[in-house]
Amino acid sequence: MKRLVAGILAATMLASTAACSSGNTNTESTEPASSTAAATSDVTLRIAWWGSQTRHDATLKVLDMYTKKTGVKFQTEYMPFDGYFTKLNTLVASNDMYDIFQLGGNFPTYIDQIEPLDSYVADGTIDTTDTNKGYLESTQYNGKQYGISLGINSYGIAYDPEMFQKAGLKEPSTNWTWEEFEKDCMTIHEKLNIYGSSKIEDFFAGGTMAAPQFNLKETFFKADGTGLNYTDDSPIASYLAMKQRLVKAGAYPDPGAISEIKDIEGDYLATGDAAMTWVASNQFVALSKAAGRPLKLATVPRIKADGPSGISLQSSQMFAISKSCKEKTEAAKFLNYFVNDIQANEVLLGERGIPIMSKVRDDVKSKISDNDKQVYNFIDTVGEIADSPVILDPKAQPEIKDLYMRLENQVVSGKLSPEDAAKQLRSGAEDIFKKGASASSSN
Amino acid sequence: MAKSKKIVTKTLFHVLIILFGLVMIYPVLWMIFGSFKNNREILNNSMQLLPNIWRPENYSTGWKGFGEITFSTFFANSFFVTAIATLACTISSALIAYALARVKFKGRKFWFVCMISTLMLPSQVVMIPQYIIFQKLNLVNTYVPLILPFFFGQAFFIYMMMQFIAGLPKELDEAAIIDGCSKYTIFTRIIFPLISPALITTVIIQFYWKWDDFLGPLIYLSRPEKYTASLAIKMFADASSTTDYGAMFAMSTLSLVPVFLIFLFFNRYLMEGISTTGMKD
Amino acid sequence: MAKNTGGNSLKLKKFLNRDNTVGYVFALPFIIGFLGFTIVPMIVSLYFSFTNYNMISAPQWVGLKNYVRMFTEDNRFVNSVGVTLKYVFISVPLKLIFALIVAFLLTRKSKAVSVYRSVYYIPSLIGGSVAVSLVWKQLFSTKGLINNILHSLGMARISWFGDEHAAVWPLILMAIWQFGSSMIIFAAGLTQIPASYYEAARIDGAGIVKQFFFITLPSLSPVILFNLVMQMITGFMSFTQTYVISNGTGDPNDATNFFALYIYNQAFKYFDMGYASAMAWILLILISLITFIIFKTSSTWVFYENE
Repeated sequence: MKRLVAGILAATMLASTAACSSGNTNTESTEPASSTAAATSDVTLRIAWWGSQTRHDATLKVLDMYTKKTGVKFQTEYMPFDGYFTKLNTLVASNDMYDIFQLGGNFPTYIDQIEPLDSYVADGTIDTTDTNKGYLESTQYNGKQYGISLGINSYGIAYDPEMFQKAGLKEPSTNWTWEEFEKDCMTIHEKLNIYGSSKIEDFFAGGTMAAPQFNLKETFFKADGTGLNYTDDSPIASYLAMKQRLVKAGAYPDPGAISEIKDIEGDYLATGDAAMTWVASNQFVALSKAAGRPLKLATVPRIKADGPSGISLQSSQMFAISKSCKEKTEAAKFLNYFVNDIQANEVLLGERGIPIMSKVRDDVKSKISDNDKQVYNFIDTVGEIADSPVILDPKAQPEIKDLYMRLENQVVSGKLSPEDAAKQLRSGAEDIFKKGASASSSN
Repeated sequence: MAKSKKIVTKTLFHVLIILFGLVMIYPVLWMIFGSFKNNREILNNSMQLLPNIWRPENYSTGWKGFGEITFSTFFANSFFVTAIATLACTISSALIAYALARVKFKGRKFWFVCMISTLMLPSQVVMIPQYIIFQKLNLVNTYVPLILPFFFGQAFFIYMMMQFIAGLPKELDEAAIIDGCSKYTIFTRIIFPLISPALITTVIIQFYWKWDDFLGPLIYLSRPEKYTASLAIKMFADASSTTDYGAMFAMSTLSLVPVFLIFLFFNRYLMEGISTTGMKD
Repeated sequence: MAKNTGGNSLKLKKFLNRDNTVGYVFALPFIIGFLGFTIVPMIVSLYFSFTNYNMISAPQWVGLKNYVRMFTEDNRFVNSVGVTLKYVFISVPLKLIFALIVAFLLTRKSKAVSVYRSVYYIPSLIGGSVAVSLVWKQLFSTKGLINNILHSLGMARISWFGDEHAAVWPLILMAIWQFGSSMIIFAAGLTQIPASYYEAARIDGAGIVKQFFFITLPSLSPVILFNLVMQMITGFMSFTQTYVISNGTGDPNDATNFFALYIYNQAFKYFDMGYASAMAWILLILISLITFIIFKTSSTWVFYENE
């Protein structure tokens, strides 16, 4: 019964899309009522994404389904993460872009290459009636829609409830604090002789998230990506001081032990050497699978229990259409299919993050295991407490993140005081922005 | 007395070589045995060499590849690219080495410096201009960018062969000229056969380098059905999600086989060419 | 040309046999490749080095700014030169000595020796694969094999990937471990040494050590020079090892931030291709200098057959 409903939904959705695109006349000149298989059979779209084998297999299957349905063919490229961006940059530099390509939170870096989708959203080629403003905003920049999110995620702390119990600790609440996090780490280390927590993404936890947690009016980066947007160094310094204490006590891995973590499966929480770890919600399923024991998801600690959460829901990945794409309408139609079609998403199963379309989300949620459902509940929880706007990564982000990590390592090894590190982070980041500003001023 | 001493030293020699060889080869064994383990065993019991449960199915899951494309395609592609590039590189490098090492022509020093300097710029900064050239020639997503440069010799091997040619007595050339050889036949009849150890070495090393190359195929190939095995193997690993290490190690192990066979095959000739050194049996 | 006959063909023959003709005929493949596919990218990268170029928008001329920045503002650059030099100067000699000794010991014609040689060559065949990086991390991890050995010898455990003084050593060891290709080249060089040399030496009563120093080393010196220069260059270009071991970061505290890795990160991570190109050209100058010095001194220790 459910399948039948899903099928009908998908069919009507497609029908309505087709109706919209041909009915709307005042926007771009769309091809005359073109969405039948016969008319589009000679279209080939070049599409690329990064990911794991699971993602490759699922995405390829969906592309195949789409080809069968519409006759649109695909030239696919899929790679691991590192290789993807090396290649993408080469293609950008030589003006040889894909038609459709996957991007993460760093999409503003490639903004010159991306075709805004606003007209396709307006004329219904991409149907966004089933999602909300917040999710659409996660892939907007300076008011334009640059992509459609393929999934929503948020950061959290994954933990092992049994270890918490053994250490005599109560499980984290939605407004727990870094102070409690530190105490829990110390207790776990004392009682169980393991690390309290495995690798935390410090730049987020103690940097980009710390700023709005401390003062909700501020963010780490300016929304337009041109500079820093926080006034007080003290939250960063106090986070670094906490890390220093935790490493010193042995309750958190030292930088050497951190670098021994190869990937999710080697995470100390998965291997049983830690009771907590930082996780992006779309990685939680893989993490619990690797751990092989029940794990739970908590929200990221706050600075003050009654203070802001500093959390925002983000798009994990999105598909964007390149400016050089010759079949933009066809590409937009495909995007619509990819995010709205129930059958397609039953294959994809939210591997890239929680689907943004509510019908798709409900359907996918009903198809997955109870453990995987945790992620959906978590995202609902985060949605309730989220209070910070989505700030996209500026081009300078990777270099500033590296700077932050070097400074943190110096703090942890006792070579630098947390306060000086926070100061150096500010001045160093400003230098990086200055350098970048002179580079792009010529455009 | 002397004889027993000899036996002792000989045994000691073998024991030491074997022990040390085991240390050397441990990481390789770890990978090979790892190809029969699952992820948990590989990551959590990493000190243990042998698997608890043997999982040959890693090979079949790995072989399946991605989408509809299996590793038979990837390996075939690798063979094609590697074989042509290796052959082309060996012959062209020998020609160039002969010119630079044996023929006193104008500009020889200049071209030698040019050749050595091609090794000194990191590939990361010439990659993009190189890509643009091949793109303008409409050769992206073909094997041409991966193969064509090898028809123009590779500096590493050119220089190596030059050193071998320099080791050949000049009198050989002079004698050949008296016999009526031209400078061309000197190359084909004398130099080329006499530097065969260097040629074999080139084949062994170049074959492996090309077989293992990852960046070239990544940049230039844009259809998975054209991917080489080295690129396909890297596709198992994605740091942002899960990696099927068992399957990846299985394919890595298989990918070792051809390069190792090439080595075994050609090493025989290297061994035959060896003159008895101080070490006597 | 080939159509001409008679006296012309004699002239042609003479022309063809002139050194200049022969040289350019044989060197032609290189010259075509160099002019067609190498010189342009090299010049383009030189041009980039005087620009601010982020690969996404067009390059913008900034003169010497990148070079000035490198030496006046960028501590990471100076540090990266330092760690690379340290890595090259330690790993290359050790690797070559090792390769030479093993090649020399494994030159007897016997089945066993053939097997040994394969065993010693295999490590070089798994290069920068994920398996190697995993094994290396496992061996040098806090509770790993190396630390267990140190511990049982009564020494303190070392955080190989966390301690900036220790971090370069796993990489140096990895470089030495993969000595296979140098070994093969030495082995090929050994085949060129005439057996009569050794026989003569044995008649003179020279032992194995003497033979090694008075026959093997001098006869092999052109190949040693080759391996030295090439391993030095590849050492400076070393990228894969540190990329897989430090996950591309050069951690801890830039202790493994090798030159090539830093160039890669500047270009592809920080989008500063102009600066990366400038660094690449400084690297080229640095390597050329060292190569030049090696070549200059080589006349005192390299012996060619025909001199």
